[in-house]
Amino acid sequence: MKRRQLFAVAAAGLLLAGPFRPAQAEDVVKIPCVCELSGAGAVSGTNYRDGAHIAVDEINAAGGILGRKIVMADMDTQTDPQISRALVQKAIDDGAYAIMGTVYSGSTIVNMMVAQQAGVPQFTGSEAPNITAKGNPYIFRTSSGAQKGVPALTAYFKDQLKVGKIAIAWVNNDFGKGGHDVFVKEMKRVGIDLVADVPSEQGQADFSADVAKIRQSGAQAVFVYLNEEEDARFLKEAKKQGLAVPLVGEVTLTGQKVIDLAGGAAEGAYAHVGLATSAPVPAIEAFVAKFKKRYGRDTDHNGIKGYIGVYAIKYATEMVGKFDRKALAEKLHGLTLDASKYPGMLLTTSWDKTGELSRESFMTEVKGGKQVVIGTVPAN
Amino acid sequence: MKRLLLLGLGLVALLVAPLGQGTYVTYLLCSWLTFGIAAMGLNLTLGYAGQISLAQASFMGIGAYVTALLTLAGWPWLAAMPLAVAACFLVGLALGFPALRVQGHFLAFVTLAFNTLFFLVARNEDGLTGGPYGLSGMPRPDFGLLDTAQQPAFYYFTLAVFLAAAVLLWGIVRSPWGRAFKGLRENPIRAESLGLDTRRITLMAFAIGSAYGGLAGALFSPLVQYVEPGSFAFAQSLRILLMVVVGGAGFFFAPMLGAAMVILLPEVLRFTEGYYLMIYAGAVIVLMVVCPEGLIGLGGRLRDRFQAPRPRGDLQEGARP
Repeated sequence: MKRRQLFAVAAAGLLLAGPFRPAQAEDVVKIPCVCELSGAGAVSGTNYRDGAHIAVDEINAAGGILGRKIVMADMDTQTDPQISRALVQKAIDDGAYAIMGTVYSGSTIVNMMVAQQAGVPQFTGSEAPNITAKGNPYIFRTSSGAQKGVPALTAYFKDQLKVGKIAIAWVNNDFGKGGHDVFVKEMKRVGIDLVADVPSEQGQADFSADVAKIRQSGAQAVFVYLNEEEDARFLKEAKKQGLAVPLVGEVTLTGQKVIDLAGGAAEGAYAHVGLATSAPVPAIEAFVAKFKKRYGRDTDHNGIKGYIGVYAIKYATEMVGKFDRKALAEKLHGLTLDASKYPGMLLTTSWDKTGELSRESFMTEVKGGKQVVIGTVPAN
Repeated sequence: MKRLLLLGLGLVALLVAPLGQGTYVTYLLCSWLTFGIAAMGLNLTLGYAGQISLAQASFMGIGAYVTALLTLAGWPWLAAMPLAVAACFLVGLALGFPALRVQGHFLAFVTLAFNTLFFLVARNEDGLTGGPYGLSGMPRPDFGLLDTAQQPAFYYFTLAVFLAAAVLLWGIVRSPWGRAFKGLRENPIRAESLGLDTRRITLMAFAIGSAYGGLAGALFSPLVQYVEPGSFAFAQSLRILLMVVVGGAGFFFAPMLGAAMVILLPEVLRFTEGYYLMIYAGAVIVLMVVCPEGLIGLGGRLRDRFQAPRPRGDLQEGARP
């Protein structure tokens, strides 16, 4: 019985210890990172956070923002929108100057309302189109929304691949739905015939029926809009069934994780990506090397997003000249940060008045087990 | 007398809980009370009537979507809530009528299928439910004197609904129906031989439990101000089931304790950073191994060590003519 009492005391101790945390000095600026460190979004969220921490350490080593050091607390949303909302609330209670995160759109759409009410600028890694369509003056993207990324592919399908019939395989969640709707509209606009429209579940393991359906439809190319793990499963199945048409994705399909998971099956897949870790841009190459050195693994585009998000806060705050949340948000609207003057941005980046972002993007292909940039798409 | 004193203390604790706390803590407390209501309903179905339901989240979802759609259309919350609860009660009846022909594990599968079905409908009927994007921007109820837009006011509103629901359930459990539920759980054959219509009683327990899910949903919708299918997926049903089991199925206060453990404990443990979910999971496993009757059972065991054991009050009652 002694042991059980010990358990009880230990549990009570843990419960009581919770609220007591060391006090923090006043001469810091708090930029908490609310993101997906566990659950379905852990890969994206962890990269986002790690990228952001590299920027924080660099900025602090160079004297901070306007002389104040950045303190970045990590808050794990478990990829759960309700928890993410509670945590944004918590970040605001703790006096956040700005908030980094979240990455999954389903979370961002909920928690951005809280940040908006409190007037705290928020830098999200989400790409669902509706995020910047809600008239929220405090939300800023760190990568382009799907409504910008997908149209960049239209020209590729029409002019380069010259297809008349196309299929789409998409994941039926908020991310996939956003891309799907834009894609269907775009194909209609340019007169390409959508012959197969195949939705799948998040976490779906078996894509044999999906691929079979696409094969039978006679599509000349497939637009694959899935999350990373599903991408890999789809690619494997496509190879197994001998689907010999170009497989084209947006953002995820040529990511390093997909290539690793799909093995040889990813060879020859194309994707348009807003941020390519393989981009032949010296600043990006340097960042990717820094990331690898610090964490011992490769980053995906989310690491870059976290990194530039923190730098955007620094540059815009220094332009304002003081720590004023509202002024920071107003400054960022319509701002262009030139990468030659502001190296932390890696690429020249602009925000419009909705917080939507634009910068040049890349066409990539998987060659020899690596993502290779085959072309650049100008900022739109 | 001692029991009344404890109850009074608990009530005072609930009343002062949000004072001096930030909006984050208050939000968590609201979330706890809301899930507490859903777990109370499941406790009626599982703990009192002994039927395993894996669809409580879908009833919460039905309640949340009905409330969201109506309040977005300009209805006051007070008018939308009864409809949400009634909808869940009716769906509970409609699902329960055929489903309760099977019991135990088979009922669990039927309800599991229903939860999946609800998820698919919520996600694919874009026109009604907003599909995977869900519905957002529901207003919080405004009662003239009490505008719940601010977090503390919303907490007291949630607390009032929670207490009303708890008192009502207390009445149900103590009514002839409640006795019948327990009789059914303890020994269905004897219950039937005593002339109880077991089918009707299980159906009522299931439908009332579902209606509680609907009430929780009606609170969830203005609390989070966003509903999407993923919030009411099967995993959420398991979470509510966990609340009931961790608290101690069949005890009146179990769902409140269980919901506290499932919702508040991970947040309290956050200071351990990367380890908090592991510690939480470990705590649940240890609890279930050491004391399968849940937290209340654990409390009872501790009490028995210091006091002479006494028979459970509700069982005593059930034994009376």
